[in-house]
Amino acid sequence: MKKLLEISLGVVTSVGGFLEVGSMATAAQAGATFGFQLIWAVVLGTICIIFLVEMAGRFAAVSHHTISDGIRERFGFNVFLWPLLAALLVNFLVLSAEIGGVAIALELAAGIGFQWWALPVALLAWLLLWKGTFGFIEKGVSLLGLVTLCFVVGAVMLKPDWTAVAAAAVPSLPAHDAGNYWFMAVSILGASISPYLFMFYSSGALEDKWDKSYLGTNRAIAGLGMTFGGTISIGVLIVAALVLATHGIDQVDDYHQLPLMLIPIFGFWGFVLFVVSLAIACFGAALEVGLQQAYLVAQGFGWTWGEDRKPRDNPGFSAVYTVSLFLASIPIALGLDPLRLTIFSMALTAASLPLTVVPFLFLLNDERYVGEHRNGIISNAAVIFIIALGFVLAVVTIPLQIFGG
Amino acid sequence: MKLLRDLLDKQVVDREQVKIGKIDGLVAELRPGKSPRIVAIELGSITLARRLGTKPGRWMAQLAARLGGNRHGEPHRIDWKKVRDIGIDIEFDIDVRETSIFAWQDWLRDHIIGRIPGAG
Repeated sequence: MKKLLEISLGVVTSVGGFLEVGSMATAAQAGATFGFQLIWAVVLGTICIIFLVEMAGRFAAVSHHTISDGIRERFGFNVFLWPLLAALLVNFLVLSAEIGGVAIALELAAGIGFQWWALPVALLAWLLLWKGTFGFIEKGVSLLGLVTLCFVVGAVMLKPDWTAVAAAAVPSLPAHDAGNYWFMAVSILGASISPYLFMFYSSGALEDKWDKSYLGTNRAIAGLGMTFGGTISIGVLIVAALVLATHGIDQVDDYHQLPLMLIPIFGFWGFVLFVVSLAIACFGAALEVGLQQAYLVAQGFGWTWGEDRKPRDNPGFSAVYTVSLFLASIPIALGLDPLRLTIFSMALTAASLPLTVVPFLFLLNDERYVGEHRNGIISNAAVIFIIALGFVLAVVTIPLQIFGG
Repeated sequence: MKLLRDLLDKQVVDREQVKIGKIDGLVAELRPGKSPRIVAIELGSITLARRLGTKPGRWMAQLAARLGGNRHGEPHRIDWKKVRDIGIDIEFDIDVRETSIFAWQDWLRDHIIGRIPGAG
């Protein structure tokens, strides 16, 4: 019973991490422009992240190292510096985009321009990290995140052609705008396979004091939680495909077009649900990414870390998330368009994947860390596939950004 | 024991299990005819910068000396004789509060973090 509770809590938590501004925006754009056709990218991204999250959790539970610890220790500081810098940069952009997402939600709700909300949002997120504990942040925000299920309910209520939905889970070539199509596929993959997600997950496993007895729990959480998150993304995509396109929006280039998505289904409450979903999903992700910046630096340099300690006892760690949150709010406060920033940072995330995923192949096969729990053939095949995918994405992202984005 | 593989970049804790850094560098004594022996470990930004090259090392040492005074112009060293346990973390029989390793964290606490309301 306790295990079951733990698993359901973990599943809920990982949904909170999965659904953020990137997956919502890319899924909505893809649905509006290409109908169901890009569902395969969400499915593929979800399968990849299930494997990576499961491995990150297994690595932490067995070796008592986080992924960042493992990379630094196994490959040395000079190699670690590259994923460190890449992750810090990508996380900065993602964090900024998440703050932008909350700011847009507040603009939609209150009518005051989004740039005015950037600093208050960062301040509120900082306050929660400053005063809150890991459990509070993990559970509180993700329970609220369940509101995003409204997209799945909405998708079902629209009675889509389920055979067409299922058919779209298989990749197909676009009939028009090939550059844009592939750019969106890359952004969706970047939004689903987020390095911050699996790195945060391995830190969370240590914060929650996991050991080998959690391996089953870990597998269940990774599989169910990420599938759950992917399902909500597909819900967003289906709703966007059926609602936005029929209202003449085949190109989402502004967040203000998005609240329309749920209105034909739920009326005025559709607007409220959209705004609340956007705000909570992005705010939860902002907390996690802000915390992840601090984990990354503190673990990389061997400082004390842990969200449950008082800032006073943890000055280096708390300084990193403080600085990260405020720096990330600046681009939004200066009026940078959150949607463009989101799409750009998702594409860059995809491009940075090889740096953070290649180490998995070594760490999860190293008996000194994972002993008998090292990767089997399927997991290794999955990592090699994700690495190959990562390299393809890294090479194609920039040309696609220029020609398709 | 393979020194570089098994020690370098591992987590260092003091006798109170406080995380004080990673093993950023090893100081070894070369002995003619015998294998080298570790005499100390080094921690801190100067050692890390030296791993990137001579020039970054020199710059970091100058920067550290300018910010923290001359006692910070050299990397922090812990005598290998103080090692107590080699496991997931490497434990040394020292108390970090008696060293200058956390001088910058203490400065940060006293001047910035500790002054923000609610720091605990």
